[in-house]
Amino acid sequence: MKGQNPMEIIKDSIAGTLESSDVLVKISPSSTREIVINSAVFKQFGKQITRVVTETLDQLGVATGSIVIEDKGALDCIIRARLQTAVLRASATQELNWEKLS
Amino acid sequence: MDATAEFYSLQVKDTPAALEEIRALLAANDLALDEQVETFVVCRQQGRLVACAGLDHATIKCVAVAAQCRGEALSLKLGSEVVALAAERGRFHLFLYSAPHNLQFFRGWGFYPLVEVPDLVMVMENSPVAIRRYCEGLARLRRAGSKIGSIVMNANPFTLGHRHLVEQAAAACDWLHVFVVGENASLVSYDDRFALVAAGVGDIANLTLHPGSDYIISRATFPGYFLKETKIIEHGWAAIDLLLFRRYIAPALGITHRYVGSEPLDVVTNRYNQDMRHWLQQAESPAAAISVVELPRLTTGGRPISATEVRERLARRDFATLRELVPTTTLQFLESKFADAVQTAP
Repeated sequence: MKGQNPMEIIKDSIAGTLESSDVLVKISPSSTREIVINSAVFKQFGKQITRVVTETLDQLGVATGSIVIEDKGALDCIIRARLQTAVLRASATQELNWEKLS
Repeated sequence: MDATAEFYSLQVKDTPAALEEIRALLAANDLALDEQVETFVVCRQQGRLVACAGLDHATIKCVAVAAQCRGEALSLKLGSEVVALAAERGRFHLFLYSAPHNLQFFRGWGFYPLVEVPDLVMVMENSPVAIRRYCEGLARLRRAGSKIGSIVMNANPFTLGHRHLVEQAAAACDWLHVFVVGENASLVSYDDRFALVAAGVGDIANLTLHPGSDYIISRATFPGYFLKETKIIEHGWAAIDLLLFRRYIAPALGITHRYVGSEPLDVVTNRYNQDMRHWLQQAESPAAAISVVELPRLTTGGRPISATEVRERLARRDFATLRELVPTTTLQFLESKFADAVQTAP
């Protein structure tokens, strides 16, 4: 389910940190949507992290961009928040559709 | 990590006292202070400097953590701080130099290995996909043939010597790939250098002209190259640039040969040519060897033509004799670019 006003990734951005229980999200423009997840807990939680990342990007209507996730065991809500911040920084969007930021 | 740990950044040129502390910390970790680092992120604990990470444009180097503080937390905070500092300055695609045995440590910082000079130095970048995407772009420009040549030139500016080298190489190969160094650290801007090369080789049919990139003689892969005016030569660092070429760029394009002009005048470039033969052709590597072909320089009046000579004559506004060294396209550019100076010359 894509958003009505898709967020276009037009520049590089980062959000988050490399510290324990946090996540560093790196976004850059790309012609396709490419997600790479590197996680300290990928074996146990890889599927769950992938789902949270994909859902969040879908909600924001991010169709293209290179999204790199360096996860240090962050909770879902933190992954979502960091990803939203990185997407906002990487897009030209001035107005926020808060309903999409669940 | 001690709760009193305090992180902040400092400018190298403004903080001579702290720099001595950094120098001592680096020395304790068998590292020397790299003169090109502009900013350090440091950590103090109870007043003592216990960790540092240097930033030189988009390259992280001179990373050290005091032995008694090597908990993971402090290191990851240091990494976060330096990555954030670079982002504040608009630098997102980052490189990192360190000793090869630190690879796992920096994987924790979100850096991925590119190439290493065994037992000496490795370079990493903060993306698991950037080099692959770059090579995929190159691979689309791949041409068929059994002998595929390549030339990397700064062309600062494009001379008859460059033209001669390109002509010879193109005649000897099925296809020739020419790269223009992308860094804007030269007298002539990158855009102008590229345009002059394009104008100077436009009539050669079996040639692709490539823009520069972070992976070919850039500040990130070969910092010493851009310091030659100040005569600082950093041996060993050419290896990184050449190994990147051999491991990633050449396979993407199917390059079998690399052409270079002999270098009797410029000591850095001469050293680079020697290194080229070693790292592209002789050194052991999982990547196939590339044959290095050094062609004699074109000469005029018994002297080899070089861009250095062009810049010297340009500094003297000696336009009359410049035409011996550069093609018409370059001459016209130089005359228009430096026209004011010509008019005011006595």
